[in-house]
Amino acid sequence: MNKNLRPLLVSAGGMLAALALWQVTATGPMAGGPLPSAAATFVQLAGLVANEAFWAALAETLVISLAGLTSAAVVGVVTGVLIGSFEPVRYATLAVLEFLKPIPPIVILPLVVLIFGPTTQMSWFLVFFGCVLPIIMQTVSGVHDADPVTLDTARSYGLGRTEILARVTLPSAMPFIGTAMRVAAPAALVITVVAGLLGGGPGLGLSIYQAQAAGDYPVLYAYVVVLGVLGLSFQGASRLAERRLLHWHASYREVLPA
Amino acid sequence: MNRKLTNWALGVGTPFLLVAAWWMFSENSTNTFFPPLGMILERFQALWLFEHFESDVMLSLRNLVVGYALATVIGVGLGFVTALMPVARWALDPLIHFLRGIPPVALVPIFISLIGFGIEMRLVSITLAAMFPTLIATVDGIRSVDSTLKDVSSVYRLTRAEKLAQVYLPAAGPQIASGMQVSLQVAFVVMIASEMLGSSQGIGAMTLLAQQSFMTSDMWAGILLLGVIGFGANLVFEVIKNKVLAWYVGSKRLARS
Repeated sequence: MNKNLRPLLVSAGGMLAALALWQVTATGPMAGGPLPSAAATFVQLAGLVANEAFWAALAETLVISLAGLTSAAVVGVVTGVLIGSFEPVRYATLAVLEFLKPIPPIVILPLVVLIFGPTTQMSWFLVFFGCVLPIIMQTVSGVHDADPVTLDTARSYGLGRTEILARVTLPSAMPFIGTAMRVAAPAALVITVVAGLLGGGPGLGLSIYQAQAAGDYPVLYAYVVVLGVLGLSFQGASRLAERRLLHWHASYREVLPA
Repeated sequence: MNRKLTNWALGVGTPFLLVAAWWMFSENSTNTFFPPLGMILERFQALWLFEHFESDVMLSLRNLVVGYALATVIGVGLGFVTALMPVARWALDPLIHFLRGIPPVALVPIFISLIGFGIEMRLVSITLAAMFPTLIATVDGIRSVDSTLKDVSSVYRLTRAEKLAQVYLPAAGPQIASGMQVSLQVAFVVMIASEMLGSSQGIGAMTLLAQQSFMTSDMWAGILLLGVIGFGANLVFEVIKNKVLAWYVGSKRLARS
């Protein structure tokens, strides 16, 4: 009991020490400067929670992230299955996909803003573009990874193409798709914030930009704290969803709680 | 054999075909959003190869390299300390995970408010944002070092330094490398974002400026250059990683066959 308690106490102490350091730095050596005190930030945070505009911005951020993520998942899995099922197509697209993959969506942000303007569609498209490529590529590898013996068995049992796809190929590609989705979910939130901050799309990113432009630093920090919590929940939720949805797969079954 | 050749030709040919198609379809384009590719390349050459090479391209690349190098050193160093000292781990873990949850680009406005729009701000933003993936991967990598390995190194009475350099670092190496790869992506994104937010120098700033003044060909030239840098940085990383971790790649292949 005592042994389990100590890490928790030290953790809480670490958090408190960091907050105290922040408060002391802000009120002591950097008083009157651009660094707001921890107390001021949390007062603003409480103010935000009571503010309707904040909840609207939060809702917009969530809707854009999830809409972008969902559309990217649907398009990505379908395209991935198509590419992965036809060997020549896989070879033809390999170099193109490999070239595009390490290019983050922020690169095409100016073009997207030019076409769509600072709108919800702009943010959505950017999220879609950023998430769809990794999902396609993982789906292709997953489809390609299907056990040839199982495929042959299914074929000799007389299963049709669609049945093989639904019963063999897709289930065996699931862990790949799951991993892609777990990585894509937090990325969707990050891209939504980028689209708001740099492209003027609606949501929390725009709120941060406005707070910074107005020099309203306590509000700026409060928004960043909110985003930290939101980012953590996205990471946690996607990890949990992956484990819940894929618990039946061999690569997850062996994971026992330590 | 013949089939393999066809597949290979497809892989090499498609990118060329796509670029050729882009060239042909855009040649007489009057659409303001999609200018002819020839014009984009002309602007690319005019902008990046001579006029702004020193003042903007080199500036951005230097920020990226220095910021990323600092992030890696600090990330790995702090990761070792955090992973090997339980008290440090308990105290820092929640803080690290909270900071990691913040979208990296959202940190840029904070640094602008603290340090202004200068080069220092961009460097600090890149370094701090890119540090977290490496840091977390290092901690995870060291914590998952096989306990038999630890016991053996104790039995052989390795000194602390020997243990760090010859046991922990190689064992955690593959995981650290994955973290560093994510860090590189983050560093690249933050490099662009820190330039787009109110700076007037750098590739990102030039590209956004071109967009805001409707100089579409210049904007496309910027997008092309950024795309090439993003791809090139990742390629260089892969090559170095495969060299350094050759033993690991080899042992994995052996285990699979």
